[in-house]
Amino acid sequence: MDKLSALMDSELDAQDARLEIRRLNDHEELCATWETFHLIGDVLRGDRQLLSVDFAARLRARLTEEATVTMPRALWLPRAAVYGLSAAASLCAVAAIAWFAFSFSGSPVGTAGQVAMTVPATGRISEYLIAHQEFSPSSALQGLAPYIRTVSVNQDEIGQ
Amino acid sequence: MTARRLQFAGLIVALAIAASGVAQAAQPASTDALTWLRKMADAAHTLDYAGTFIYQHGSTMETSRIVHFTDASGDYEKLETLDGPPREIVRDNDNVTCYLPRSKTVLIDKGQRRRFPTLLPAQVDGITRNYDLHTGAVRRVAGHHCQAIRLTPKDKLRYGHEFCVETSSGLPLVARMYDENGKLIELFAFSTIKIGGITRDMLESKYAAVSGDWKIERSVLSEHAVKGDGVWQVEDRPAGFARLTEVQRMIAGQPQPVTHIVFSDGLAAVSVFIEPLPADAPRTGQSRQGAVNIVTRPVANHLVTVMGEVPAATIMQIANSLAFKGQ
Repeated sequence: MDKLSALMDSELDAQDARLEIRRLNDHEELCATWETFHLIGDVLRGDRQLLSVDFAARLRARLTEEATVTMPRALWLPRAAVYGLSAAASLCAVAAIAWFAFSFSGSPVGTAGQVAMTVPATGRISEYLIAHQEFSPSSALQGLAPYIRTVSVNQDEIGQ
Repeated sequence: MTARRLQFAGLIVALAIAASGVAQAAQPASTDALTWLRKMADAAHTLDYAGTFIYQHGSTMETSRIVHFTDASGDYEKLETLDGPPREIVRDNDNVTCYLPRSKTVLIDKGQRRRFPTLLPAQVDGITRNYDLHTGAVRRVAGHHCQAIRLTPKDKLRYGHEFCVETSSGLPLVARMYDENGKLIELFAFSTIKIGGITRDMLESKYAAVSGDWKIERSVLSEHAVKGDGVWQVEDRPAGFARLTEVQRMIAGQPQPVTHIVFSDGLAAVSVFIEPLPADAPRTGQSRQGAVNIVTRPVANHLVTVMGEVPAATIMQIANSLAFKGQ
């Protein structure tokens, strides 16, 4: 419990914070405590009206904000870097992607009347794709996905 | 006890009651699936495991091997491709090394990365608002029992997902993504998996010792957050997608930073990249990379690239309603 409040106050170092967050994740009752801490903090800080009709919604919204600002600084880079994952390396993955199924010739995906034309240089799209996947929650959920998508090889290469 | 303190104590009690009420109200019929989802989100990052998996998108399928290990010193991972030219990626916390034996090249990438071992409240909220969650049957995959979880989109703006989660550890053994017509567009599945019993030496690169004279390339991640709403706005934002973040990042071969805005519905993400319009002609185009749709178009003297693992219509809606609100 002490560590939990330390975590909330950003007083833990990165290593301790990581362990504590894991513990938090393993124990539902700790999660409830964590949320209650935030709730109390909210009320103590502001003039929140309690128990109104949309209380739950506003609480959720506020918790959302809190989740990004009360994490230990060591764990958080930009304020809004909310979703985490073990992301593939940018340069590394760019190189990997160069092998990758980056054939823009295939499957134009627009609706009727829209024709696929040219696209920016492949290299830049690759970097964008990797940057995008660092933020993708569905990738984060699987843990592996960023690597999978970025080291995938295309058929031509397999055929060599 | 002073009146003020009494008032505070009363407040805490009221809060506790309110909090328990909130917890109940926020638990629809999908609680069970959500519990599995949380377990899965944590497992993929905290478990020690080694296995072989297939990854399929479109008509392409390939096999890779992964080893993952975590201890008090951090997080380690090794991935090697088993089809085509050999490639090996070794991650030691934030440092990623990529060995490319065919071209005798080592790529080293340093930088802090986003990492969070669990589903955050915002994410859970988005997922339950935009998807129907169901648990399916218990199946057997790679010799392990796993619980199927389905996330069916509530509208046509996002894709469907299905996972099969190993029942004791929570490790996802299968992940499928379906398009708006129910067609499978991406599949990831373990064919063999060993959970636990991993040691650090299993993560060492087989090329580390022989790569002494290979070419080395290095890079450092660089980005910083943009405060406030920024000068770019999506005027017709697809339902359920919230603006997650905006950063300025450096891209190789680009002297000026690129604006990167991210929208998410809790599960899927859409990225908007905005760069100064290149000297060559403005370009408009659409393409698809696995499950990721990509649209590029010029807007207000900038080149805008929108991409995400969502239907093309969702990408188009964002690309077509992006507006410059600056001076």
